Amino acid sequence: MAASTIAASARREKLAEIGMQVAAFLIALGIALGIGSLIIIGYGDSPLAVYSAVVRFSFGSLDGLARMLVIATPLIFSALAVSVCYKAAMFNIGVEGQYIVGMGVATVAAAHFGFLGVFQFPAVLVFAMIGGMAYAAIPAVLKVKTGAHEVVTTIMLNGIAISLLAWALRGPLKFTDAAGAFNINLRSDLFPNSAMAPNLGHYLGVGTDVPLNLLLPIAVACSVLVWFLLKRTRLGYEARAVGSSPGSARVGGISIGAVQIKVFLISGALAGLVGMQQILGLNNYLPLNYEAGLGFTGIAVAFLGQNNPFGIIAAAVMWAVLARGQDAILIETTVPVEIIIILQAILILTVVVAFQVAKRRISRRRLRLAAVQDQDFEDADEEAA
Amino acid sequence: MQNDGAGRDSAPLVVMEGVTKRFPGVVANEDVSLELRAGEIHALIGENGAGKSTLMRVLYGIYPSDGGRVFVRGKELKLSSPRVAIANGIGMVHQHFVLVDPFTVTENIILGDEGGRRLDLAAANERVAELAESFGFSVDPTAKVEDLSVGEEQRVEILKALYRGVEILILDEPTAVLTPQETRELFGNLLRLRESGKTIVFISHKLDEVLEIADRITVLRRGKVVGETTPAETSKAQLAEMMVGRPVLFRLEKPTVELGEPVLQVEGLTGGRLHGVDITVRSGEIVGVAGVEGNGQRELAEALIGLTKPDAGRVLLEGKDLAGWSVEEVRNAGVAFIPEDRHEQGLVLAMSLWENAVLGRQDDAEFSGRVVLLIKKIKELAADLIRRFDVRARNINVNAGTLSGGNQQKLILARELETDPRLLVAAQPTRGLDVGAIEFVWKQILEQKAAGRAVLLISAELDEIYALSDRIVTLYEGKITGEFSPDAEPEAIGVGMTGSRSEEHV
Repeated sequence: MAASTIAASARREKLAEIGMQVAAFLIALGIALGIGSLIIIGYGDSPLAVYSAVVRFSFGSLDGLARMLVIATPLIFSALAVSVCYKAAMFNIGVEGQYIVGMGVATVAAAHFGFLGVFQFPAVLVFAMIGGMAYAAIPAVLKVKTGAHEVVTTIMLNGIAISLLAWALRGPLKFTDAAGAFNINLRSDLFPNSAMAPNLGHYLGVGTDVPLNLLLPIAVACSVLVWFLLKRTRLGYEARAVGSSPGSARVGGISIGAVQIKVFLISGALAGLVGMQQILGLNNYLPLNYEAGLGFTGIAVAFLGQNNPFGIIAAAVMWAVLARGQDAILIETTVPVEIIIILQAILILTVVVAFQVAKRRISRRRLRLAAVQDQDFEDADEEAA
Repeated sequence: MQNDGAGRDSAPLVVMEGVTKRFPGVVANEDVSLELRAGEIHALIGENGAGKSTLMRVLYGIYPSDGGRVFVRGKELKLSSPRVAIANGIGMVHQHFVLVDPFTVTENIILGDEGGRRLDLAAANERVAELAESFGFSVDPTAKVEDLSVGEEQRVEILKALYRGVEILILDEPTAVLTPQETRELFGNLLRLRESGKTIVFISHKLDEVLEIADRITVLRRGKVVGETTPAETSKAQLAEMMVGRPVLFRLEKPTVELGEPVLQVEGLTGGRLHGVDITVRSGEIVGVAGVEGNGQRELAEALIGLTKPDAGRVLLEGKDLAGWSVEEVRNAGVAFIPEDRHEQGLVLAMSLWENAVLGRQDDAEFSGRVVLLIKKIKELAADLIRRFDVRARNINVNAGTLSGGNQQKLILARELETDPRLLVAAQPTRGLDVGAIEFVWKQILEQKAAGRAVLLISAELDEIYALSDRIVTLYEGKITGEFSPDAEPEAIGVGMTGSRSEEHV
């Protein structure tokens, strides 16, 4: 009986903490929108009109919703990749390079493995993950074997990845079909249908011309897997221990280097999937003018989502709503498109600050609750001071 | 205030009257009254959580009190912030120092009180040197704080307060972080401060120190004053009973156990600070390694658990050479470890109790499959450990960081002893714990002996070495400098601890 009341009170506390986090987020959102409003008013437009246009573009129609989710999908992969490393106290700035390499490796399978039929799409994904993983292995091994900091090595490797892919598109990956020569932009061979991400449009009743595809549910599944990895598996447990107390982890018999390499490889595999929306969803080839920067955006989304696998989904959606909002603003209002970028920046700032404040309050609250049980005020004092 | 003929000098410098401080859900101080007289060293003692620090933080203006009044020099004051407190001559040195590491001693001392637009460091250095000189503190004003020892950093903190003209100096557990020598030096400094008329509040739970240094002692328990006394009128046992609320045993009965085969044989262990260390521990035996920290204690413990690889020498566990074994393998072979630093090497503070309860055994088939943790099993283990070792926590889901030091140590003990080890390596197992928790830890260690396990106890506290050990060795500058029976005179062991044979004649 006592045990069940304890469990109930633990659940209540957990709910209260989640409530505080939700409140923190709403306050942050409010402040960001408030500041945005001032800027919009400065341009002589109505904030309500601008915001409602932005929201309408993503939520006003199924088509809009689908297009927004298409933008969100790669951001989920990217932010997950960042967050996995972050949990083990590593900063993977190299998601950018890893997804670029991932696209290149995936293109091999996408262009040439048509004989696999229905298995080609999953095969392409596996290739993408292997590409990202292989490229992530470099900074991981350098970190563990030589102590080279991953931030420095991954930034350097990002530059190399761009050149590597440019070279590949002029060499082994270059189109072989006659039509390719008429394109202004260099591209790979066109992929067969079996390589493409299966379209989900007809399930939502928006038709197949909306590029909503299987990658979105895969991204959501990856979030669940990452949550499971961190909370339920031994590797996730060891990664979190290494991340928050390397000394205690070592004494606990955890091999820090091995854990770091494994986590980095998982991060790289997730990063490899970032570029799939572009080459298997939006296009059916890899162009030289692919969308770059998704790896860096992933860092912002990961922090916006508090490095929580489910927070990341929400953050990616929010980011995508704002990104789509650029079109809305261009079409429906007189304010400059850059207002969106400003909003994104303010949002990160306010959310990070608000969550930090909430986190402090939560930890103080935890200490206080512990003190009630323990009659031990000293630690709480420490915190308050 | 009445002047009962003793004149103005005996009028208390500070009077705290009926001070109450509540935190949501708890009363940290309830109707506490306290008097500080000018020029005294006043010890404030009590267990962790008794409200000592809280009371002093009220006096220092960190916490607004929820009731009661504070008089300083007969004038009622509203201490709304540390700034006000300092202006009224009250300063506090916290347990955790707040110094800027890359700054020099002088830069740290004048920080926030630089005076003027132009920073004249040369003049400031001189002022600091003079100040240190006047109280007989040895400190180099131009040294960087990051190069200082803990004892020196503490001196800088005290000078910081003195620089601001503080008359009443509150020291929160000042000896918790010091080696015995540094403690001696601190006491020398405190006596000089008292001579020059300063009033010192000494917060502690180390009774020997309090009896040595204090003029008067106030005991707190559960937020209330339970008594006021002087060292002459009381004893260690009495103070302990006042603090804990029940009699405390300082000498526990050592169980008599037939010593068995050697479990641990250390032969010529060399590496880091260690030079050819030989130690043997038999089953059922507690061997105490006495010595001042920094003489290879940490290196010895880390080599035994497999954290560091020795340059030379062997470590044998029941005859098996542990050379090249990982921490995981050493643990699986039956070595349990209580690290000297709970936070850095014992617990992951940001993780839950149940997650900490399995640390070190996360790869046991009992608690983890090839990939997935068996969380239900782990939680059962944690709940069981917490119940049996009386770890006070609301539930097993709270973070380890929310526990008090004593409860954190209990959690580590529970985890390590649960594995039924062949050898327990306990490094400074009661550091920072209060009397009640120390007694608990000691009992647990003696129980290991009774169960026929081998225990290597590494401790800087001679009391602890005496209370538990069957055999005592001293470690000095990485070498074993002597072996003693627990009947040996402390002075003899002291010689081994300092390595200097010449002190025999002193």
